Amino acid sequence: MTRLFIFWSRLRGLFLKSKLEDEMSAEMQSHLEMQIDDLVRQGMSPEEARYVALRKFGGVDQLKETYRDSRTLPWIETFFRDLRYGFRMLRRSPGMTAVAILSLALGIGANTALFSVVDAVLLKTLPVQHPEQLVIFEWKSGRPFRTSGMSGTSNVDIAPGERGLSLFRYDVFQEMQKTQAGSTESPLSDLFAFAPVSDITARVGNEPEVINGQAVSGNYYQGLRVNPIVGRMITVDDDKQNAAPVVMLSNQFWEERFAGNPFVIGQQLSLNQHSYTIIGVTPPAFNGTLQVGYHPDVTIPLALEPQLRGEQSRLGTTSEPGVWWLNVMGRLKPGATQEQARESLNTAFQTSALAAMPPPRKANQPAQIEPKDYPRLIVEAGDRGMLDRRKSYAPTIYGLFIVVALVLLIACVNLANLLLARAAVRGPEIKIRLAVGAGRWRLIRQLLTESLLLATLGGIVGVLFAFWFKGALSAFTDDNNGLLPSGVELTLNWRVLGFTLALSLLTGLLFGLAPAWRATSLDLNSTLKQSGRTTGGRSRLSKGLLVVQVAVSSLLLVGAGLFIRTLYNLQRVNLGFNQENLLVFAVQPELNGYKDEQLLRLYQQLFDRFDHLPGVRSATFGKVQLIAHENWFFDFLLPGEVEGTAPEHDTMLQVIRENYFRTMEIPLLRGREFTAQDDDHAPAVAIASQTFQKQFFPNEEILGKRVTFNYRKRLVEIVGVVADTKYQSQRKEIEPLLYTPWRQEATEIGVMNFALRTVNDPTALTAQVREVVRDLDNNLPVTEIGTQSARSEKTLAQERTYARLFSFFGALALVLAGIGLFGVLAYSVSQRTQEIGVRMAFGAQVWNVISMVVWQGMRLVLGGLSISALVGYVLVRLLNSKYFGPDTWQQRMKQQLYGVTMSDPLTLIVIALLLALVALLACWLPARRAAKVDPLVALRYE
Amino acid sequence: MVRDSKHEVLPGTLNLLILKTLDTLGPLHGYGIARRIEQVSGDLLELNQGTIYPALLKLEQMRWIKTKWGTSENNRSAKYYSITPAGKKQLAKEEEEWERTSAIVTRFLNPAEK
Repeated sequence: MTRLFIFWSRLRGLFLKSKLEDEMSAEMQSHLEMQIDDLVRQGMSPEEARYVALRKFGGVDQLKETYRDSRTLPWIETFFRDLRYGFRMLRRSPGMTAVAILSLALGIGANTALFSVVDAVLLKTLPVQHPEQLVIFEWKSGRPFRTSGMSGTSNVDIAPGERGLSLFRYDVFQEMQKTQAGSTESPLSDLFAFAPVSDITARVGNEPEVINGQAVSGNYYQGLRVNPIVGRMITVDDDKQNAAPVVMLSNQFWEERFAGNPFVIGQQLSLNQHSYTIIGVTPPAFNGTLQVGYHPDVTIPLALEPQLRGEQSRLGTTSEPGVWWLNVMGRLKPGATQEQARESLNTAFQTSALAAMPPPRKANQPAQIEPKDYPRLIVEAGDRGMLDRRKSYAPTIYGLFIVVALVLLIACVNLANLLLARAAVRGPEIKIRLAVGAGRWRLIRQLLTESLLLATLGGIVGVLFAFWFKGALSAFTDDNNGLLPSGVELTLNWRVLGFTLALSLLTGLLFGLAPAWRATSLDLNSTLKQSGRTTGGRSRLSKGLLVVQVAVSSLLLVGAGLFIRTLYNLQRVNLGFNQENLLVFAVQPELNGYKDEQLLRLYQQLFDRFDHLPGVRSATFGKVQLIAHENWFFDFLLPGEVEGTAPEHDTMLQVIRENYFRTMEIPLLRGREFTAQDDDHAPAVAIASQTFQKQFFPNEEILGKRVTFNYRKRLVEIVGVVADTKYQSQRKEIEPLLYTPWRQEATEIGVMNFALRTVNDPTALTAQVREVVRDLDNNLPVTEIGTQSARSEKTLAQERTYARLFSFFGALALVLAGIGLFGVLAYSVSQRTQEIGVRMAFGAQVWNVISMVVWQGMRLVLGGLSISALVGYVLVRLLNSKYFGPDTWQQRMKQQLYGVTMSDPLTLIVIALLLALVALLACWLPARRAAKVDPLVALRYE
Repeated sequence: MVRDSKHEVLPGTLNLLILKTLDTLGPLHGYGIARRIEQVSGDLLELNQGTIYPALLKLEQMRWIKTKWGTSENNRSAKYYSITPAGKKQLAKEEEEWERTSAIVTRFLNPAEK
């Protein structure tokens, strides 16, 4: 406590300095006068009295110093003094200071922006009360345990031989809820479930659109302790089958579509042709608990999901059990642990899950499974919402982080070099100060203050850069298959800014400590004698640093080269069909309740109009959108095979219109195409791709063969063979593919992807396409309309991202290395003017001098290149061996390459030449300056 | 009179001397404290008068004494120090410790006492 008093007094002393100073002088003055008075009274003369008084008092000034030191906080004062000194030093060389701050700002800004991604994706907790009380439930089991079907995203860490899912079935959830609610001693205060409901047709105003939503159990909002900003939230009473249909809006949806009007409460919203009453709006920061990047615009109670989704309902009914699709979370009571929560519900879960297991499908599967394979609950922290997608993005983000950190490292190294050079120049001054007794730590502290000042300034500018970088990174979060999850909001909040501050201080220490240490090392003699010329130690360090810089930038650039070539290769892959002038869009009539006859009729009507639309050469559709990471496949049986005994064959599937091959320009190789006669009264037919034939009927005639699909016990006869096309993406190998005609697949064509071959620019027809659809049904939205080429490009988003990132950082690293090389050589030349003068006096030509300097620089670059070659070699060997597991980001990045090997000679040579060129450029100026040295002047200069 | 060599003031004891002085004599200015210490020690303590000021500052920081500007006997303005209740407590504590220490040392120096 007393220490606090002292500190407080000292703090006051700091601020009241002048007042206290006056007081002190006054007090001492009065002391002396009183003493003098006494002595005079004793009989001394005034002058003698004064002399004696002063002697008795002691050294006044010394005393004042001691007094001052006790009165204030000396270290703050020295700190401010150092700070002022640092500012002065920086102002003296504005050019270098600007370059230093700029390179620091770039490095720190990039790191900050990336950390905001880490924060948003991996760290940010839910904006609810006490998020640390939330837990997520998942489960694991042995392989023999099966589920009756699943829908959703799941990413549970399992061992080989295990299954795991973060999804639950509704009846299983209800059992768990009964157990939790039924016991007052349950460690959980709430247990709730939720799941995404994507692709809902909503009608707000005139245009129908497709939005995303979610379905939640009645106690969802209560469990999260989230309060609506307008209206009321969904309660348990709304989550009943015969309850009035209600819906909650997300804040963003409310702002965008309803202009933030509080009077929407009570209005009706049309979802999938059903009417829901709007009852409330969630607060701004709350985006739900679902996978990162998924923002539900609307929320409905779970019990209403079947009404919304109709036949596609996941919830199930009393007759149909539904699928495993719900995420389950709970809130712990204060003091309860995750393990307690798990134990309290495990039995209820296990019993109901086992009861939910479907009967064995294959003949050799046992009806019962062993207890060791029983499903058991797992509990994870729920403070950030569902983690599955976050986990899959983590490796990529960390990989990026490392790259950016490397660039910052290079910037630091540059700065360290810079400071080393400057410290060398001030060498004599520092040595003198050391010689007269200044503490070494004191001097180091002063030098460090300067570098910390530089780092802090760089950090401040870096925050500005971070804003800009953040915007660029947001572009990467828009593509669904990009590096980062889409729809993530990057903010520079306190955590991120705190990170920036810590990073700035760390870099300041990093590049400031070594030079400060070196500069104050106790090698007094040599430097005091010389005129500031340094040899050996100092320049070896800075040269070593430069070599490291060159190595890092060349590695980054090689990465960039490889990915650019990958992108180039992928863009030129032969897709098997003509993607030019192809307008593609999706229509989802099943969301509006179309089926059977009605559905077929709708499509026919659409085609009647599309076929005759001016500017359209040919119109067709397919169930699966090509080159869009979509796939649809099933297992089937070859002729003669019987279910239960046959090995599993899989094939990709596609449902098409009769003119599909002609429109897409896929050549028919054998047999016939589909016709309008291939409808549900005619025998079921299919057309195979060439790969299908090669894989399943290599040596026999395929036409006329029948294969059976397990999913509806359908038997189809193969009547034609077409050439192969790429299906899922440009890079995925071609797999066997079977086409079926649309008229025979009425239950599978609720959503179709149209493709129109146009005469000119496809996008010019966008408005007319929308109009055609609107004319037929103005509740039917048209989604994802664009050209096929654009769609294919979008699929390459990840590769493009890698190429861009590596190029950007590689270029940045190269520029920094170039600056560093320039600095090192310029300094070296300025130090060696004498030597150059001597050489020239002895007959060296200008050319000799230039080549000497250039060779000095190139030697360093060669050193850097060899190091990077060595590191690259080791990396390639590691990646080719099994050292990195298949799921690590290292392996994943390697798999990104297409058409190039990691040690691609062309790329390596080009990068090496590029580096050499930049290096030559960096050497040029110092070399010229060396050449201009006048031997007479140099020799005279000492 | 033969003067013994003057003794230096042990660092900690200055606090004790100042507190005792203020406790006995009441509020006093810096010069007064210094004179008093000189008198009571019979001029045997070598003390630069100025050294009491840092000590006074520390005592003030510890809240054992408090200060106030006033006028002295010969009408000069001076800063007066007075002891606080906390200071009185500290004084009692330090007196007790001092006596205990000296008792131990005395016993140590006269081991014959059994």
